[in-house]
Amino acid sequence: MTALLELDAVTVRRAGRPVLERLCLTVPAGEIHVLVGPNGAGKSTLVAALLGQIRFEGAIRLRFRRGGGIGLVPQAFAADPTLPITVAEFLALTRQRMPVCFGVTAAARRRVGELLERVGLDGMGGRRLGELSGGELRRVLIANAVDPAPELLLCDEPATGLDPEAVERLDGILLDLRARAGTTAVVVSHDPTQVRRIADRVTRVGSGAIRTGSVDQIMPVDQESTYTAPSPAPGRAGATGGER
Amino acid sequence: MSGLYLWWGDLARGLHLPEAFQYPFVARGIVAILLLAPLLGGLSHLVVARRLAFFSTALGQAALTGLTIGVTIGEPLNAAYASIFGFCLLCGVLMVYVRRQVLLPADTVVGVFMAFTLGLGICLLVAATRQFNIHQIEAVMFGSLLTVTDADLLVLAIVAVLVGAGLFATYNLVLSDCLSPQLARAQGAPTALIEYLFVVVLTMAITASLKVIGALLVEAMVLVPAAAARNLARSTRGYLAWSVVLAVVTGVAGLAVSTLWRVPTGGAVVLALCLCFFLTLPARALRRA
Repeated sequence: MTALLELDAVTVRRAGRPVLERLCLTVPAGEIHVLVGPNGAGKSTLVAALLGQIRFEGAIRLRFRRGGGIGLVPQAFAADPTLPITVAEFLALTRQRMPVCFGVTAAARRRVGELLERVGLDGMGGRRLGELSGGELRRVLIANAVDPAPELLLCDEPATGLDPEAVERLDGILLDLRARAGTTAVVVSHDPTQVRRIADRVTRVGSGAIRTGSVDQIMPVDQESTYTAPSPAPGRAGATGGER
Repeated sequence: MSGLYLWWGDLARGLHLPEAFQYPFVARGIVAILLLAPLLGGLSHLVVARRLAFFSTALGQAALTGLTIGVTIGEPLNAAYASIFGFCLLCGVLMVYVRRQVLLPADTVVGVFMAFTLGLGICLLVAATRQFNIHQIEAVMFGSLLTVTDADLLVLAIVAVLVGAGLFATYNLVLSDCLSPQLARAQGAPTALIEYLFVVVLTMAITASLKVIGALLVEAMVLVPAAAARNLARSTRGYLAWSVVLAVVTGVAGLAVSTLWRVPTGGAVVLALCLCFFLTLPARALRRA
């Protein structure tokens, strides 16, 4: 299968120290690829590099087949919680041409309604974004990222703050996207159950060593307890360093 | 415009308004407020959403320095638009550029530029006062209806149309970038371009509004309407609507107070706006309770 994503000797440095060193990785189109590893191993840094948001050495090649389109579920969403914007307005920002300050169009409202239903937040379009719980906000971000079906979906710890039922729903959405639209996904996860449910292949990042293989190769069942639990208060995604 | 002024004079007499309201400069002031209040009020909700309150204060201060540069190099005191716009734009673009390049908090970078423009402005003010009476310069610093001309209204109208059209076309991108630059970039938005364009738009609006409410008070006009609107709004639609309504209502009220009691228009408008902010604070507290 053709590779959608290729990393060739990618090195990212922070304050002169390499966070990722000569990382090589190939992700075929339509694969759900999960990144695992301890905190600080460079998983979120890799996502930021994929988005071109930090400086790196080496090459990252994206081979979109149908015009591109990246969906992102960020690790943290640092928007001002006191900003008066509703969930429907937020989701309509990229789904209508008319400025949302003049209202949400009927077409965008329908689409937003369907999206919210898909992530289990039916009827919450009128709620203010700042009033949502961490898990609810995460589900809104997931809804935002998966429509229209992106060619590459980047999810940075998407299960953080979600209850098990919501994680299962998220996994269903990822699998459905792959089956329906051929979406390739790179998912950062600390949740072994989620990894086993969705991953085609897994890359373990950390301690300078990078290993890629099947779930059983990278995460033998007897070693799963060594993974850290999802952090309840995620930090800001993406290291500093300027744009590509 | 003379027909409008005659009509206004007749209307003011018919409504038995005090004599001061019958003069053409009051009609010019009302037109100016009706153009300026929606422009700055509308912009203010994005200024606050983008956390550019301190940045816009620095731009207002840069306008003052731009004015002193203009009069020093020979621009007319009442129409130093080129120097004010040029210097504000230069400062605004440099502030954004430096903030994007160096790993310093935004308020630190803005603070440094603010100190620089203030220092430069004070030095140049000495040179400017050799050519003009300090009271003439004060009129531009604090705004005065007496100095507003039809040409100023035309500039204000053109800027209002350009800014309105520009924001209408890019509003969703600008707001996406406010909420999360990372998400906006992932969705293909040119976030750096948006940031620079917003600075251009803000500079245009500030420069065009100077004659009416003054260099020092224009910064309040791009901040306080949105601050008060936040106390009342629950959605982006409400946020914009309240920002504009409060700016227009307090603008007209400030103009009336300024005409009746002969206080600077800018000061009266900003005091009315701040009063609105404090009066609407309980609404915010009630919503949170």
